[in-house]
Amino acid sequence: MKRKILIFLMIFCLTIPLLSACGMGRGSADVHVFYYTYSDAYVSTVRSALDKKLHQAGISYQDYDSNNSQTTQTEQVQTAITKGAKLLLVNVVTTGSDDAAMGIVNLAKNAGIPVIFFNREVSDAVVKSYEKCMFVGTDATEAGKLQGDMIGDYLLKNYEKTDLNKDGVISYLLFMGEKGNSEAIYRTRYSVENANAKLQQGGKPPLKFYDPSNGDGYIADREGKWSAQAANEAMTTALAGYSTANGNMIELIICNNDNMAEGAITALQGAGFNNGTGTTIPVFGVDAIDAAKELIRTGKMAGTVTQDGNAMADCLLRGVQNAQNGEALTANMGDYTVDEGVAKVRIHYGVYTGE
Amino acid sequence: MKSMTRTRQRDEMTPEQKTLRRKEFFINNSLYFFLIAAIVGIVIYDPRFLSTASIVNILSLSAANLPLALGIAGAIILSGTDLSAGRAVGLIACVSASLLQMAGYPNKMFPSLGVLPLPVVLLIALAIGGLIGLVNGFCVAKFRLHPFIVTLATQLILFGILLMYLMNGNNNGQSLSGLDPSYTQWITGSFLKIGGTAIPNYVFYSIAITAVIWFVWNKTVFGKNMFAVGSNEEAARVSGVNVTATIIGVFVLAGVLYGVTGFIEAARIGSNSAATGLNYELDAIAACVIGGVSFVGGIGKIRGVILGVVLLRIIFVGLTFLSIDANLQYVIKGLIILLACAIDMRKYLKKR
Repeated sequence: MKRKILIFLMIFCLTIPLLSACGMGRGSADVHVFYYTYSDAYVSTVRSALDKKLHQAGISYQDYDSNNSQTTQTEQVQTAITKGAKLLLVNVVTTGSDDAAMGIVNLAKNAGIPVIFFNREVSDAVVKSYEKCMFVGTDATEAGKLQGDMIGDYLLKNYEKTDLNKDGVISYLLFMGEKGNSEAIYRTRYSVENANAKLQQGGKPPLKFYDPSNGDGYIADREGKWSAQAANEAMTTALAGYSTANGNMIELIICNNDNMAEGAITALQGAGFNNGTGTTIPVFGVDAIDAAKELIRTGKMAGTVTQDGNAMADCLLRGVQNAQNGEALTANMGDYTVDEGVAKVRIHYGVYTGE
Repeated sequence: MKSMTRTRQRDEMTPEQKTLRRKEFFINNSLYFFLIAAIVGIVIYDPRFLSTASIVNILSLSAANLPLALGIAGAIILSGTDLSAGRAVGLIACVSASLLQMAGYPNKMFPSLGVLPLPVVLLIALAIGGLIGLVNGFCVAKFRLHPFIVTLATQLILFGILLMYLMNGNNNGQSLSGLDPSYTQWITGSFLKIGGTAIPNYVFYSIAITAVIWFVWNKTVFGKNMFAVGSNEEAARVSGVNVTATIIGVFVLAGVLYGVTGFIEAARIGSNSAATGLNYELDAIAACVIGGVSFVGGIGKIRGVILGVVLLRIIFVGLTFLSIDANLQYVIKGLIILLACAIDMRKYLKKR
C-alpha cells in the first residue's frame, strides 16, 4: 500500500515536467501574455490567433488565465518577472481605475521590460507614464458608428418591408447592456445617431423609440451582465403590449452585443416572428460571435459588427517584434491607426451581414 | 493485517520492522519530501526558481495569504469550515480602501472625508472582521448549525453588502483605487532589501501575526479549549469547557484575521472591486488541509498551516516556471491538493 503511494508520488513528480513539455515546450518564455479571463469568447479568439502567430514567428511565450481577478493577475505578473520575462502583454482585469494598470507598469519599469496592454483599455496617463508602454485596442465609438451605418443602409433598402404599420416611421427598441460602461454608452449613442444620419440623407424621418414614456431611449440590463436572459425578459415584456394586432409592433431591435440579440430573437420567436419564414424583425448586434453568425446565415438576424481578433493578434505581434528589434513599440503599424500624442494603436471593426 | 501485527509487537524490533518504521517515517514526512522533490525538479528545469527575487516573490505571496489561512484553520480545527472568508476579505478591503483614498482623488467615495489616520482604519477593519466572525460563531454555537451552512449564508449576505457599499457616494459601483501613498507605503513599502530585492513590509506583519496566533493556540486556555472542543465537543463540555464561548471566540479570531488580510489586500493590489476576495477561502482551506489541519477536528499545527500555504504557493509559482499550459494548471492544482491530502490523511486514519 505504502509502496504504491510512493510510486504514485514519484511518477506524479516526474510527470509534471513532462506535461510542460507537451504544453509549450520551452524552458524560459520571453513573452508573457496575461488574459483577463479564458472564459471570454472574443478574447479567446485573440488568444488562439496570437498563440499561432508567436509560434510561427519562433517567439517563445507563455499564457496566463487571470480568471477575472486583478489579484491573480498582479501576482502572475510578479512571478513572470522573477521568471525572467522579457516582455509583458496584459489584458488588464480592472478597467475602471488606473491603479491596477499602474501597478503593473511599475513592476515592468523596475524590471526594465516593455509592457503592452490590449483589448481592455487603460488610460492615456498609464501609457504615458512609461516610454516602453503601449495599448492596442479598438476605438470605443467605432462599433456604434458602424452599427448605425449598417442599420441606416439596411432600412433605406428595406423601408417598406420594415415599416409594419405603414405610418412612415420606424419604431425601435435598444438594449444597452451595462449602464455606465463607456462602450455601452458610445454604442447606444452612435448606433442611433448614424442610422438617423443615413435616413436623413435618404429623405426618411428619424427613428422613434417604441415606448414614448421611456425618455432614456434604451433598456438597460439592471445587473450589467449584457446577458441574453435579461434581453429576453425585457423583450417578452415589451411584446405583451406591442404587437402587429395593436398596430404598434416594434420594427427594429438594436442590441449593444450579440448575446442580447440572441435573447431578443428567442423572445420574438416565441411571439411568432423571426422564424426564418413570415415576418422578421431586423435585429442588430455587436461582436459577431458564432451563434450570431449562424442566426444571420439562417435569416433570423440582420447584422452584427465584428471585432477582429486576428488583427488584434497581428498588431500585438508587430509590437513584440518592434521590442525585439529595439524600435519604438508603435513603429511599423501599417494600416492600423495610432492615436495622436499617446502610444495607443486602434484595430478597426468590421461589418458582418453574412454576405 | 500488516499494521495490526506491527502494533502488537512494537517493543521487539526485528530488522523487518525497522524497515517498516523507516517507511513510516518517510510517509509521515512525505509532504516535506514532496516539497523538496518539487523544488529540485523545478530548479533543474529553470534555475531562476531559486533566485533571490523568486524566493522573495514566493515568500511575499505566501505571507499575503497566511493570516487568512490561520483564521480558517481555527474553524477547521472545530471540525467546521468558513466559506465567508473570501467575501469578508473583499468587503473589508473595499471599506479600508474607501476610507483611505487620496484627498482630492476625482472618484473618491467620500470626498469630504479627507484621509483617516491608518490606525483608525485598521481598527475599523478588525472590528468589521470581528463582527462578521461574531455572527458566524453565534449562529454556529447557539443554533447548532453546521458552519458550512452558516458561512454559506453569510458569504451571500456579505457579497450583497459589498455590492451596496460600492454604490456609495460618487463611486457608482466602480472599483476603488487612488489610495493614499502613506497607506500603500505602509503595506507594500520596504525597509529591508536582500540582494537588491525589497521585501515588502506586509511580510513582517504576517510573521508577527503568525507568532501571536501560535501563542494563542499553544499557550492560552482558549487555545487548549479550541482543540478540546474540536476533538470531542461533549467531552469538552463535561470537563467544564465553555463550548459556546470557545466556538464564538474561534470565529471572532478568524474574523479579525480576515480584517488584517483585507486591510493588507486593499493596498497590496491597489484596486478593489466586488471581485476582490472571491474564492480566497478555497485556497486557504486547501492550504490548511495540505498542511495537516484535519477536517476530523481537533488536529492541526501552526507549522502545518505555514507549510501548507508555502507548499501551495510553490506549486502555483512552480507551474508557471515549468511553463505549463494554463488550462492544464487547474487540473494539476486539483490533483496535487487531492494527492497531498490523501497522503496526509493516512496518518490520522491509522490513529483512529
